[in-house]
Amino acid sequence: MKETHLKILQYITGIGLFFFVGAHLLISHLSSGEPTTWASVSGRAASSGWLAFYIFLLIFGIYHGLQGLRTIILEFSIPNPAVKVLNWVLVALGLAVFGYAVYIPINAFII
Amino acid sequence: MQDLSFRVQRYLPGQDKKPYIQEFTVPFRQGMTVLDSLIYIKENIDNTLSFRSSCRMGICGSCGMLINNFPMLACHTPVEELGTDRVEVRSLPNFPIIRDLVASLDPLFEKHRSIKPYVMSSDMKEAEEPIAEFLQSRDELESYVQFAYCVKCGLCMAACPTVATDALFLGPQPLGQAYRYCTDHRDTGAKERFCEADSPHGVWLCHLAGACSEACPKGVDPALAIQLLKRAMVFDSLRLRKKRTPASVAQPPAESKSKIDVPEFTVK
Repeated sequence: MKETHLKILQYITGIGLFFFVGAHLLISHLSSGEPTTWASVSGRAASSGWLAFYIFLLIFGIYHGLQGLRTIILEFSIPNPAVKVLNWVLVALGLAVFGYAVYIPINAFII
Repeated sequence: MQDLSFRVQRYLPGQDKKPYIQEFTVPFRQGMTVLDSLIYIKENIDNTLSFRSSCRMGICGSCGMLINNFPMLACHTPVEELGTDRVEVRSLPNFPIIRDLVASLDPLFEKHRSIKPYVMSSDMKEAEEPIAEFLQSRDELESYVQFAYCVKCGLCMAACPTVATDALFLGPQPLGQAYRYCTDHRDTGAKERFCEADSPHGVWLCHLAGACSEACPKGVDPALAIQLLKRAMVFDSLRLRKKRTPASVAQPPAESKSKIDVPEFTVK
């Protein structure tokens, strides 16, 4: 994938994160009531809408973070052959983190 | 000001382990530039001092140096404007040192060459055997002319914090020139330059520090060119870039009779 496409995706995920993280903070920490009680959390977990919300938050967060990390690592004069290795390492890391993290909301949704 | 204290970087590869500073005293003269001072040192104090200069009027871009920790053209920098009688002169950072104040600009020229800094025409016949100039409107000229003032002095590359950390980063001068040629209406090689600028060490590593534009002695504003190049590349990858018609070739001038009577050549 071209660098410009990767960067466009980072911009899109950045804008998306502004809304997703904003909504997450608003619901989990700033809303009235008790959003962090067992009943509230399990209530949200049972909703397919919230499941989709958290999965998108996860995808956007992982992509945006790893692309930012990649940009920082590239500044250490990484030669082009090593950039390919770096890309695959970050893809593997992203998939591993996604697989591990997505297990929790999906499991909670199924239960 | 009476006397100026000049702290000049000295370095002879193979003899010195690392660059060191040598101090010289130069008598102040109204209107003298840093280059004048260096020439005074070379002519009167130490003729082994090496520096590069040519035009003495900010056109050739040869005398780029780090003057009081800021990359400047020595010929374009009056000592009075520095506001101090202590002047420190070093070779341009982010470039290998050849000797004393002479930096090797090879990395700049290699990167510059990689972005194909010339007008590429799809009309091969016209490119090989031009019959006339390409037509260009005033607006079309103004869209890139600011970026065409680059003298390749390397000051922007020396000022760039990203070039300082990543030697593979293309840098402000090549990227600025990539935009300059992509914007030129006579050119049809934007795609090729986009490919080069789209590398992992290309245009997207620019953090928009703006140090390049501040350092440029010709007002080129490479930081602006890089941002415009990013926009053009985003539009191009989303297929939103406007297609433009290549500049047409001017008609060859019609034959006309000279107003004054010029005698014909007699020598065959």
